[in-house]
Amino acid sequence: MIGLLKSMATTMKHALDGSTFTVEYPDEAPNVSPRFRGVHKFSQERCIWCRQCEKVCPNDTIQIVMDDKRNGEQYNLHIGQCIYCRLCEEVCPTEAIVLTQNFEFTGDTKADLVYNKEQLRSVPWYKDIDPVESREPDRSAWLGDGDGEVDYQ
Amino acid sequence: MSTGLENGLEVSEDDLETLIGDRALDREDHVNAPGFVVRPDQVQEVLTDLRDEAGFDHLSCLTAQQYENRYESIYHLKKYADPTQEVSVVVPTAVDEPVSQSAAPVFRTADWHEREAYDLVGIEYDDHPDLRRILLPDTWQGHPLSLEYDQEQPQVVTLSEHENPVQPDHHDTESDTMFLNIGPHHPATHGVLHVKAVLDGETVVDVDPDIGYLHRCEEQMCQSGTYRHQIMPYPDRWDYVSAGLLNEWAYARAAEDLADIEVPEYAQVIRTMSAELCRIAAHMLALGTFALDVFGDFTAVFQYAFRDREVVQDILEDLTGQRLMFNYFRLGGVAWDLPEPREEFFEKTREFLDDLPAKAEEYHNLITANEIFQVRCVDTGILEPEVAKQYGCTGPVARGSGVDYDLRRDDPYGYYPELEWNVVTEDGMDNYSRVLVRMQEVKESAKIIEQCIDVLEEWPEDDREIQANVPRTLKPDADTEVYRAVEAAKGELGIYMRADGTDTPARFKIRSPCFHNLSTLAEMAQGEYIPDLIASLGSLDIVLGEVDR
Amino acid sequence: MEVPLEAGDTYLLPERISDLTGLGGFGMAGELLAAFIAAFIVGNLMLAMTGVAGPWAKRKITAAFTDRIAVNRVGPWGLFIIVADAVRLLAKEMIIPENADRPAYDLAPIVVAGSAMLGFAVIPMGSGVQLADPEVGLVYVFAVAGIASIGLVMAGYASANKYSLLGGLRAIAQNIAYEIPLVVTGMSVVLFAGTLQLSEIVAAQSEPLFTIAGVTIPAWYALVNPFAFVLFLAANFAEVGRNPFDTPEAPTEIVAGYQTEYSSVYFVLIYLGEFLHIFLGGAIIATIFLGGPAGPVLPGIVWFIIKIWAVFLLTQWLRSALPRVRIDQLIEIGWKGMLVLSFANLVLTAVIVALIESPGLWG
Repeated sequence: MIGLLKSMATTMKHALDGSTFTVEYPDEAPNVSPRFRGVHKFSQERCIWCRQCEKVCPNDTIQIVMDDKRNGEQYNLHIGQCIYCRLCEEVCPTEAIVLTQNFEFTGDTKADLVYNKEQLRSVPWYKDIDPVESREPDRSAWLGDGDGEVDYQ
Repeated sequence: MSTGLENGLEVSEDDLETLIGDRALDREDHVNAPGFVVRPDQVQEVLTDLRDEAGFDHLSCLTAQQYENRYESIYHLKKYADPTQEVSVVVPTAVDEPVSQSAAPVFRTADWHEREAYDLVGIEYDDHPDLRRILLPDTWQGHPLSLEYDQEQPQVVTLSEHENPVQPDHHDTESDTMFLNIGPHHPATHGVLHVKAVLDGETVVDVDPDIGYLHRCEEQMCQSGTYRHQIMPYPDRWDYVSAGLLNEWAYARAAEDLADIEVPEYAQVIRTMSAELCRIAAHMLALGTFALDVFGDFTAVFQYAFRDREVVQDILEDLTGQRLMFNYFRLGGVAWDLPEPREEFFEKTREFLDDLPAKAEEYHNLITANEIFQVRCVDTGILEPEVAKQYGCTGPVARGSGVDYDLRRDDPYGYYPELEWNVVTEDGMDNYSRVLVRMQEVKESAKIIEQCIDVLEEWPEDDREIQANVPRTLKPDADTEVYRAVEAAKGELGIYMRADGTDTPARFKIRSPCFHNLSTLAEMAQGEYIPDLIASLGSLDIVLGEVDR
Repeated sequence: MEVPLEAGDTYLLPERISDLTGLGGFGMAGELLAAFIAAFIVGNLMLAMTGVAGPWAKRKITAAFTDRIAVNRVGPWGLFIIVADAVRLLAKEMIIPENADRPAYDLAPIVVAGSAMLGFAVIPMGSGVQLADPEVGLVYVFAVAGIASIGLVMAGYASANKYSLLGGLRAIAQNIAYEIPLVVTGMSVVLFAGTLQLSEIVAAQSEPLFTIAGVTIPAWYALVNPFAFVLFLAANFAEVGRNPFDTPEAPTEIVAGYQTEYSSVYFVLIYLGEFLHIFLGGAIIATIFLGGPAGPVLPGIVWFIIKIWAVFLLTQWLRSALPRVRIDQLIEIGWKGMLVLSFANLVLTAVIVALIESPGLWG
């Protein structure tokens, strides 16, 4: 009987102290950590079309089309298929592809979630956090990726 | 007959050779253990000898695979008393007639494993009690991991012959029992599990878990990924309820042994700390969902457990950048150092650890001190230690039955040997003990994290090496084989890998603790009531993503 | 503490309405119409309460216990969720199992909801709100509340679903096991009051029990015999199938028990019925243990509703804190524990009453 009363007292204490651990999501944007991995942002100016991101992607999420002179034509990213492993960012030598903190995106069909390079460029930053800047302290860590040949194709 | 090779005592390879004698056709050394090649009709004999004479009482895993010229079943044996002692029994069978003797009479856990091997690879086991498909539907054509299987060939099954396991009503006018499909859509199956239950009134006469609804070809996906990068994101998705880093460690450990990679000590400390954070998160969820099964609604305990798990996840998000699918470990280290400013991170983690005792007290008041809870859980879902060993149970389930087995201590890896902590066991063998074990393990994990933070704080700034220098393309030598396990949230999570000289593994096999633990459900639930069946299932803490892979 | 009670006053709501509107002048038909109007008022009051309790209050209360926010989007404090939920539930497709035993399947929700409504007919709610006041009021309330068991077992077997069947069987086993202790404990109150008429029972509780510092504590039977009160509360929770005795539904075990196959309007009816039963249980407790509508300052009906809601709150509190007992344990507690205790309580009460009424008996 004591145990039952203790249980009841515990829940009642929570009811009375009025604190909540959930947040009113759309009104109150949650804080994400600087390392959080959300939708990709692509910068064509930086990209050297080395195709490393396409090669490392475990899910075939990234698809690059180049012309016969190896100039980049298309950079498509199937965001609905992405598993947010951040390997593309990790292998990118120029930070042309970065994962923003933005996790708010929708699409009615699968096709809506295939982003081309223009759409990828216009992905907004979440709360104006620039992922490259915010991950600056970590940069040395993720760029050191072993020896062996680097194949820029 | 005693040969002096009792449990735990060191058995040298020579002893094993003598024990197996001429039954060994050949030797085949794996990275982790000596391997003996055995004729397919002598499996039971050899395994019985190894179990009874040499004390190898733990059939950790069974890997089946096909080579060009043969099928092969590898029985990975260990000892509960000392898991560093391992031996592999390799059983080759001919391609044209892949029939091998079943190990199920020796180790009951072989039952499910051999069904899986039959299902995916196509090896048939003689003397097996019930050889049918386990992961794939009965109507599946072919064995997907065999070499001749055509991946492109669509599975053509006409509607009329398409099997619906929930359909048959099992009308039996003779008996008084009732057949009941629990699941695949049932509030308490923790995923998509289908339990075929036979009831006598409210009493459970027989249960048969039907798994495979969440089979996602994880092994094959890993077989097509590169060692260096592409496999690591997937372990997070086996046991997807926040135990991701523990799973990643299983792959990391196996691959590092395979490719002989040294991990810097600093990275090991970070790994240890983050893995224990994951363990806390996973145990919180286990506690919450078990309470949900027993309390019956999404009530207070469930929500409080989630609230506390949320704090852990925030810490892990700061560290790894993701809340569940971390992809934080790399071969030879971790992806990132601790987040800057480090003090803030330490403070946040410490704060969480300081709050834990008060929260543990709250859980104690709500759950374990509650008389109704005790009446519900004490002496229900009994799992005898010997039965648990037979089924290859590990983790909190085994420790709740008094099996003192924890790979963090018994097969040390990471930074665990340097730290002060205890392995928690309870002798109750019931649902209540399993809850107690999990609650106490949270405290032990907190101890480990605390010590790791101390170590990390003291660590000299110029020596913070988080990754070893690992080649960009990793190609381990052909025909090296390794089986390595770590203590994941649910128990022993093992990975078998065979390299074939390319940058992807030729065979990747996951030994899932939940798979073994779930196979004991019938033992636990027979003769008890439906509510106990549900409670037992909850106390096993299975994640179907890991059971089905 | 003296509140004008309608104790012993036979001026009931239908009569009052017929007097006020002059319907009495139309003879039998007029009285019938007045009775209809009165029943309409009381019924709607109760339905409104369940409407507030089901979609809104239950969520808010549970959220408070579990540190969450809960409904707050639609209207002030999320109150319009009631409307939204009503529309949602009524607009849903009604799915009826192929093998359902039709008349029984259709009748069950009506029986479940209707039996609870019938009970309110004799409850004195204060401020003159009482539809009828028969001399066997207490027996009547227990009797109609018991009809719900039939509804549950009908729902259970007619749904042609094994989970429903299990739920129906559990419900009937549980109700039988707890009906007897419930009634026997209720009878101890009758021993005190010496009547089965609910208005008389309420009146009997307005007597002063004792006075502390100028505050007169009335002789509510909860204070006179707390043991009986606790026993009755527990039996009542089992009777209405609330935690820790919610085995007939037991979502994690048998999905939703007897209501598994009900959807749309039928589900609403069953859901309403459950809440009505909680409120009826609360009303019985308030009437026979908590002095009915008695209370200071506020009008009787308000006090009565407060007391009902207090019992409802208690059910939600227990729901948040207590695990569900197993069905066999539940039956065991019922037959081996509660039944014995309720009879012990009856004997105890008899002794107390004898002591009070004839002190000379004991020298």
